[in-house]
Amino acid sequence: MAIEYGLNEEQEMLKTMARDFLANECPMTHVRELMEDETGFDPELWKKMAEVGWLGLVFPEEYGGSGMNFRDLSILLEEMGRAVLPGPFVSTLLLVGMPVLAYGTEEQKNEILPKIASGEAVCTLAALEEDGDWWADSINIRADYRGGHYVINGTKLFVPDAKVADYMLIAARTKRTENPEEGITLFLLDTKEVYGTMSTLLKTMDETRKQYEVVFLNVPISAENILGEVHQGWPIMKQIALHTTAALCAEMVGAGEKVLEMTVDYLKERIAFGVPIGSFQALQHRASDLVIGLEYSRSLMEWAAETIKENDLDAATAVAMAKSFCGDTCKKVVAEGIQMHGGIGFTWDHDMHLYFKRVWTDDNAFGDSNYQREVVAKTLDEIHQLAGGGRWAKTAGRLTQMG
Amino acid sequence: MADEGPEKLEALRQEVRAWLKENLPEGWGSPGYVAPERGSKEAHDLGKAWQKKLCEAGYTGFGIPTEYGGIERSRAEIAVIREEMLRTGTPPPAASLGPMIVIPTLLRYGNDEQKKRFIPKILSGEESWCECFSEPDAGSDLANIQKTGVRDGDEWVVNGQSVWTSGSKFADWGVVPVKTDPNAPRHRNLSYFVFDCTSPGFEVRPLKQMTGDAEFSETFFDNMRIPHENMVGEEGQGWYVAMATLEAERGGGIQFVAPSRRIEPTTLGGVDIYVELAKNTKRRGMTVWDDPLFRQRIAQFAIENEAMRHSRERMRVKAMKRQLTGNEQSIGSIFSREKNQRQANMVAEIMGANIQFMRGDPRALDDGSWTYTFLRTRGNTIETGTTEILRGIIAERMLGLPRSRG
Ligand SMILES: Cc1cc2nc3c(=O)[nH]c(=O)nc-3n(C[C@H](O)[C@H](O)[C@H](O)COP(=O)(O)OP(=O)(O)OC[C@H]3O[C@@H](n4cnc5c(N)ncnc54)[C@H](O)[C@@H]3O)c2cc1C
Ligand SMILES: Cc1cc2nc3c(=O)[nH]c(=O)nc-3n(C[C@H](O)[C@H](O)[C@H](O)COP(=O)(O)OP(=O)(O)OC[C@H]3O[C@@H](n4cnc5c(N)ncnc54)[C@H](O)[C@@H]3O)c2cc1C
Repeated sequence: MAIEYGLNEEQEMLKTMARDFLANECPMTHVRELMEDETGFDPELWKKMAEVGWLGLVFPEEYGGSGMNFRDLSILLEEMGRAVLPGPFVSTLLLVGMPVLAYGTEEQKNEILPKIASGEAVCTLAALEEDGDWWADSINIRADYRGGHYVINGTKLFVPDAKVADYMLIAARTKRTENPEEGITLFLLDTKEVYGTMSTLLKTMDETRKQYEVVFLNVPISAENILGEVHQGWPIMKQIALHTTAALCAEMVGAGEKVLEMTVDYLKERIAFGVPIGSFQALQHRASDLVIGLEYSRSLMEWAAETIKENDLDAATAVAMAKSFCGDTCKKVVAEGIQMHGGIGFTWDHDMHLYFKRVWTDDNAFGDSNYQREVVAKTLDEIHQLAGGGRWAKTAGRLTQMG
Repeated sequence: MADEGPEKLEALRQEVRAWLKENLPEGWGSPGYVAPERGSKEAHDLGKAWQKKLCEAGYTGFGIPTEYGGIERSRAEIAVIREEMLRTGTPPPAASLGPMIVIPTLLRYGNDEQKKRFIPKILSGEESWCECFSEPDAGSDLANIQKTGVRDGDEWVVNGQSVWTSGSKFADWGVVPVKTDPNAPRHRNLSYFVFDCTSPGFEVRPLKQMTGDAEFSETFFDNMRIPHENMVGEEGQGWYVAMATLEAERGGGIQFVAPSRRIEPTTLGGVDIYVELAKNTKRRGMTVWDDPLFRQRIAQFAIENEAMRHSRERMRVKAMKRQLTGNEQSIGSIFSREKNQRQANMVAEIMGANIQFMRGDPRALDDGSWTYTFLRTRGNTIETGTTEILRGIIAERMLGLPRSRG
């Protein structure tokens, strides 16, 4: 696989365009307005995002999309991270649009994708439940087959953007066997056509992203609305997790770089002891550490995006590596950003905490850095067994490569 | 350059494999193989001989103009060669300073005669090099160099002292910045020379370091004469030439590094060795690999190795677009050196009581090389500029923060 390092001309344009667009259409003052709004959704802004082609960015043109690739998408997400953009972009495109494109029937694709691209349809995924754990065993709300259709009962938690979603993808259990990854089915619900769901806004830390509890009470849904095969929803969920995790890495790196820039500016401006605080080595060295962390975060993030773009076999490992490193680093960046701002960085009116909350929430989603590192460890174990082990005595000299 | 077809690359891979089998030292890779002692003449000669073989086979000198003994190879070919070398491991390049720092410095500041005279013999392993930069009172504060050079006809007469000069015991040539204009301000008072280590007046006194061997030495210049033609760059330009040397050193020879294209045992192999060690080490009835704390640390190194690989590639692309200033080298330099140290610490903790065995004790694993590494890596964060100095470079030159006041 040939990895494209750096951006081509079109990607540079996309990036500049996205930065300008977000600065004009969703400056921090507007982010804060949307935080106060119960849905965090701005239909006007959404329409403009559709007009510039973002909502169908990675869909083929036949579904009203722009036919761009995952790396392009990740460039957009970096900019959204810099802007702490509120609203259902990730929910709509990553959690629903891309899986429908990959696994949907022709009818499903024709129904939903053009609506997403044009801004008519907002979507979300109802996956997590009470324990908030991203793994198959935690999916327990039931979809029972009765009288020719399924009936869903139970409660989903941490459902983003549920209130404004026109379509909701639901992971429900249709069968319980020894293997928890078996027997999960994904249903695609048109929220305007069904009754029996109730969404309640959760009071959560990152107010730029609204999350809900969604209760399903005898919600009927036809087998036609299954995405993929019955009982076979988990592999799709894993794919959703893979893509969204890569996307969140881009968002975290964007946020982290912005925080570093804001912090460096502050270090140059703020005077204490008669000098700019950026002349204190204690702060200089810490700022340098953030530069180092972000360089490697970006390197892994771009690689992960490329592996997804190329549908490469390394994608799962690349994404786990990227998420683990970006998560650790960006959590540190936002914490240091607050610290180096002193008291002002701790206030509500300063934007530091918005980045802090966004990054910590992103890191947690779909498995945090520690979990991802364990995924890498499992891969190492497999590779070790494949390689046959037993070679270490030969290779010890490699350890001393430096100096 | 376009990629070769897969068949050609596979043929190259087989060629390198066969070549390694033929050319690696007798017994290499077998548990009984005992490497020559670090810092010994034997180790140095082995490094030189290895460099010579690499050169003859066309496995070194990539990207260096052919008129100076280099060779053109595609990135894919270089990747294959490196992968195969990583797979078996190779003798440590005792003569590494020549290729790593002298060639880039000469390519940037040397005149044509100097390039023609010195580069081919570095590549062929015939001549090894040392770097006489640090002095007792000029380490981090390198611009404080006190060595003096006074012009005498076609020669410069040099007096003074260096310290911590790695590899100088056996080096054939050296590089040295010398104060040639005592009246000029800092950064404009130095000139940079290459000199023959057999010159009368040059003396080397080995210094034992914490590993127990003497890789570096004190070096003395007592009315040592250097022909004027051995000045690299202009008179008074020595500080900037020295910075080019340090940049190359901190980049660790980026120009010779090629990426492999997929994750495979060789790349994750940077840590496969730790997986193996952890699986073979038992602590209180459980293998170290089964301890999540260690497993996570090992996985972290796999992640960091990949990160470094991709960062190097990003830098390479930026360099091609002329978007690098040179200060970026500090990023990789700090990260890789500190990672080396953290890795060695982890190994020491995995091995527990056994890390104590040094070379020479029959119980020492791999002839004590793990313990050697554990100790040697302490120097990694000091040599070629301490990690504090490099952090300062990032802060002041990359981020544009005001000059530090301590
Ligand atoms: C939760 C909270 C409660 C508080 N309650 C009170 C209160 O009740 N009463 C009250 O009077 N104050 C209170 N404060 C204010 C607090 O004491 C100050 O915020 C703190 O002393 C830092 O000062 P500053 O905000 O001006 O930051 P600055 O002094 O501007 O510092 C900014 C950054 O520069 C660093 N820095 C500054 N000088 C140096 C130096 N010489 N060397 C290295 N680094 C340096 C700081 O460590 C910090 O990281 C409170 C603050 C918080 C966060
Ligand atoms: C294994 C090894 C091999 C070496 N090989 C060579 C060689 O081949 N050729 C050669 O010329 N030199 C060599 N050196 C020397 C090396 O370059 C110097 O040791 C290094 O530059 C530090 O200088 P110093 O030892 O004088 O320490 P000092 O400069 O005295 O530093 C002491 C401590 O103070 C810190 N410090 C100093 N200034 C600052 C500052 N402005 N801000 C913050 N912290 C500061 C340093 O980071 C360090 O922690 C080698 C060193 C080692 C350990």
